[in-house]
Amino acid sequence: MSKIEEVAALVEKGKAKLVGQAVQEALDEGCDPMDILNDGMIKTMSVVGDKFKNGEIFVPEMLVAARAMKKGVEVLKPHLASGSTGALGKVLIATVSGDLHDIGKNLVAMMIESAGFEVVDLGVDVSTEKVIEAYRANPDTRIICLSALLTTTMPAMKETVTALNESDFRGSIKVMVGGAPITQEFADEIGADGYSDDAASAAALARKLVAA
Amino acid sequence: MLTPKQNMLEVIRGGNPDRFVNQYEAVQLLFHPYSFSSPLLQKGQENVVNAWGVTNTFPEGVPGSFPVHTPDKIVVKDIEDWQEYVHAPSLKFSEEQWAQIKETMWDPVDGEQAFKAAFVAPGLFEQTHHLCEITNALMYYITNEDEMHDLIKYLTEWELELAEGICSHLHPDAVFHHDDWGGLDSTFMSPAMFDEFFLDPYKQIYGYYHSHGVDLVIHHSDSYAATLVPSMIEMGIDVWQGCMATNNLPELIAKYGGKISFMGGIENRAVDFEGWTDENCEKVVRQICGECGNKYFIPCIAQGGPGSVYPGVYMSLCNAIDKLNEEQYGIKASESTRLPWQIMF
Repeated sequence: MSKIEEVAALVEKGKAKLVGQAVQEALDEGCDPMDILNDGMIKTMSVVGDKFKNGEIFVPEMLVAARAMKKGVEVLKPHLASGSTGALGKVLIATVSGDLHDIGKNLVAMMIESAGFEVVDLGVDVSTEKVIEAYRANPDTRIICLSALLTTTMPAMKETVTALNESDFRGSIKVMVGGAPITQEFADEIGADGYSDDAASAAALARKLVAA
Repeated sequence: MLTPKQNMLEVIRGGNPDRFVNQYEAVQLLFHPYSFSSPLLQKGQENVVNAWGVTNTFPEGVPGSFPVHTPDKIVVKDIEDWQEYVHAPSLKFSEEQWAQIKETMWDPVDGEQAFKAAFVAPGLFEQTHHLCEITNALMYYITNEDEMHDLIKYLTEWELELAEGICSHLHPDAVFHHDDWGGLDSTFMSPAMFDEFFLDPYKQIYGYYHSHGVDLVIHHSDSYAATLVPSMIEMGIDVWQGCMATNNLPELIAKYGGKISFMGGIENRAVDFEGWTDENCEKVVRQICGECGNKYFIPCIAQGGPGSVYPGVYMSLCNAIDKLNEEQYGIKASESTRLPWQIMF
């Protein structure tokens, strides 16, 4: 097994305490840091996402894999050109106003970060004003992701997306929505650019949207 | 005409129910002294610290209270030393406290019409993530197995003490126990991991209730959890309340009917939203009742207690089921002996 394969295996198994050392050993052997990042980590997380989507693994396994990747990236970061780890761009993510659920948002944030984006997590119960304020503070944002887990907070999601659609920066961003009661139909109705029904699909969709 | 309680028993036993059980009509959810020493929040209350030290908030427009997990409010700061942070609240209540609740809340309920169900929440899994924060807790099930086993053992012992108090003082014939084990279309953890952590503890808890006068263990999990049904049966759950339509209820009823019954099928997202209508409520009721029939199935809103987020939705569903019972079984709601509707939310 090559050192990069070893990193990949440790990320997939969520061995956070061991990944850092494996990354260091891969670097010491002369592996290209970008290969370690792409082949050892980002591709692995894509596999993890697919397994989650197919029901082969569950939330805990996905969380520990994402955490392991994060540990590996910490060791790798000084060896990468600035911005390599978030090369696909910046993503703002939030659960909408009135909604305190965070597990879905956290999973999407982890998977999107693992796919090569820089993620700014705005937290739960985030008002439209705070989302817009966060964009103004991060004008290089490429995607804004919004989560809602309750039928009662779907109007808040609609309100935020409507405000984004009317903003002067709408042409610079893509808007993604998700959460248990959200459907593609609802996403289309409120004018979002994308909807996905699980965290792995959200990461794939984010990649697709920035490539478009 | 059977009483609501008799009808529910017929549904569960696969006997001869004379109509659909109408949501929670045959189950009165009742409290105990601990409920009042660590009170359930009312809508609009924010940042209330409960007896376990968990901060909760109940914003308007949501079905229940929710733990707040900003870093400063997470109870378990270090899972390896969870004993330093988790301190179970006392369950030593005076005989007077038990008697007062029994006389004012339990005794007035006509036990011929409805089960008197002790309301217990949160459950073991929920308590772990209330104490640790959900992302942390889910990771700890892999990274800190021993500590999680120990924490669950501690919570189980506390629940058993609560069960002892409830059974010896209030003599319930049912328990309505919350513990959400999944989301819309998946369980939070694999069935194997679930069994490893929760099967034995719940066998102890539900076994205790069953051996101390409780006929029905009704477990609430408004989620997908079809893959956990064999474990639910082994734990001693008689009725799974909150089963969402995503579980393929007709298939579950065919496979497990007689060993467990299913109370739900009406997801809040299908009926309980801005702009809800009586017509839509009736449509959803007709569809799920048509698919599932009235054996081993009780049509019910998925949320864990009678009521709805949008006022009026729960009663609209009740009316739709009454209408269906009259059409399909010739049973008029006006002739029913059921207790006044209990609406908690």
